[in-house]
Amino acid sequence: MKTSFLLCLALAIVALPKQSDAQLLKKLKDKVNKAIAPPPTTTTTTDQTTAGTATDASGKPVNKGGGGLKNTPPPDVNEQIADAEQAHGAAKYSDARYSLQQALIGIELQLGREMLKSLPDPVAGLEKDTLQDKVVSAQWGWSNLTIQRIYTDKKDKQLTVTIGNNGMYSGFVMMYFNNAYGMQANADNQNMKQVKVKGNKAIIQYDDSKGYTLIVPIGQSSMIVWEAINFADETEVMNTANAFDIDGIKKQMGEQ
Amino acid sequence: MKKLIIFSLFLFAVNACFAQDFKADIATAKSSYATGKLADAHFALEQAMQEIDMIVGQEVLKLLPTKIDTLTSNPKEDHVMANVGFVGATIHRSYGLQGNASIEIISNSPMLAGLNAFLNNPLLGGMMRDENTKMVKVQGYKSRLEKQGENANGKTDYSLQVPFNSALLTLTVKGKTESEVLALANSIPMEQVVKLIQ
Repeated sequence: MKTSFLLCLALAIVALPKQSDAQLLKKLKDKVNKAIAPPPTTTTTTDQTTAGTATDASGKPVNKGGGGLKNTPPPDVNEQIADAEQAHGAAKYSDARYSLQQALIGIELQLGREMLKSLPDPVAGLEKDTLQDKVVSAQWGWSNLTIQRIYTDKKDKQLTVTIGNNGMYSGFVMMYFNNAYGMQANADNQNMKQVKVKGNKAIIQYDDSKGYTLIVPIGQSSMIVWEAINFADETEVMNTANAFDIDGIKKQMGEQ
Repeated sequence: MKKLIIFSLFLFAVNACFAQDFKADIATAKSSYATGKLADAHFALEQAMQEIDMIVGQEVLKLLPTKIDTLTSNPKEDHVMANVGFVGATIHRSYGLQGNASIEIISNSPMLAGLNAFLNNPLLGGMMRDENTKMVKVQGYKSRLEKQGENANGKTDYSLQVPFNSALLTLTVKGKTESEVLALANSIPMEQVVKLIQ
C-alpha cells in the first residue's frame, strides 16, 4: 500500500502536479520552454573572457574556451530502420529498440524542419528569425517533438510559436477545458479565458510581465503555443494566430 | 509435461505473431517514409517499437523462475502489457494462490528516471533506513526492501524494488522472513533480465 502511495506520489510530483489554473498554464509554458533547450551541436569556438582569475572561489579552474561540439547530422532514417531489422533478426532487442528510437528522431527532425518552412512569414508585421528556429526530438521515441519559431521586429515586439507533440501536456490543457470549476469569471481582473482559434478550443492568458499566451491543443496529443510580447491587445494576438494554417499543422503532426 | 510443451508452443506462436507484426510495421514505415508520409512512418515505427517491447516481455517471462520456494507460477496470469504512450511495457508473473508472490517489471519507461531518482534520494525517503525500509543488495544491484505489514501466518509481507536506469523490478512476497525474501530475489537472473529490459 505504502509502495503504491509512494509510486503515485512520485508520479504526481513528476507528471501531475496539482496547481491553480494560472499556475497550470505557467507550468505548461515552462515545460514547453524546457523542452526546447538549445541542442549542444555548435561548432563555434566560444571566446570567454575570464573575470581576471584562473580559478573560482573554491580553487577550481575556470574554463576559458574550447572547441565546442561538432554538428552531427540527424540520424539516417533508412539506415536506422535497416539496423533495427537486422538487430531484430539477430534477437538483439535492445539494439533494435535503440535503432528504432534513432529512426524516430530522424523523422521527427525532418518533420519539424518541414513544418518550420510551412509557417507564415511575416506575421503581425514581424519577420521570422531563422537563427532561433529550433526542432527538438526526445530520444525515447514516444511523441515528444517540439518546434519553435520566433518572429521579431528587432525591437521590443516578439512572437514565439511553439508546436509540441506530447500527450501529457496536451492532456493537461484538455483537463482544463473539462474542469468547469476552473473557469475564471471575474469580469474586472480576468486574466485567462477560453477562446477559439479557427474553430479550435483555446486558452488565452495575459500577464503584465509576460504578455499574452495562447494555447491551442490540436488532435489527441499536440498543441500550439503563441507567446506574444508587447502586442497591443487580445484582438491582435487572435488575428496573429488566425494567420497560421492550423489544419495544415494538424495534418503534418498526424493529428485529426 | 504435456502442459509445458503446449505452453512453450503457445509462447513460440505468440513470438512468431509479434515478429510478423514487427515486419509489417517496418514495411509500412519504409513505404510511408519513401513517399514522404512522415507522420505515418512515425506511427509505424512507434508500433514497431511497441512490438519489440512485447517480444522482450515474453523473453523476460521465459527467464523468470517458474517456481519460487514452494510457490509455482500461474501461467494464465502471466502478462505483458505495452504501456500507454509507447513507453515500454509492464511484465507480470504471479506465484501461488491469491498472489502470494509476484514479480512485476516496468521496462523502457523514461518516466521511471524521475521515480528512480526519488527512490535513490534519501531526502525524499527513498533508499533510507527506518523500521520498515532498508537498502540491500541483490546480485550487486542496490534495492529497497520494505515491510508491508504482518501476514496472517505471523510473518511479514515484503516488497523488494530494484531500480535500473529506465526500468523497475518489483518482487512482492507475502508471509516470509527477510532472509527468505532475499533468497527468492536471488533466484531471479537479474543480469540477464536487465540486459533485455534496457
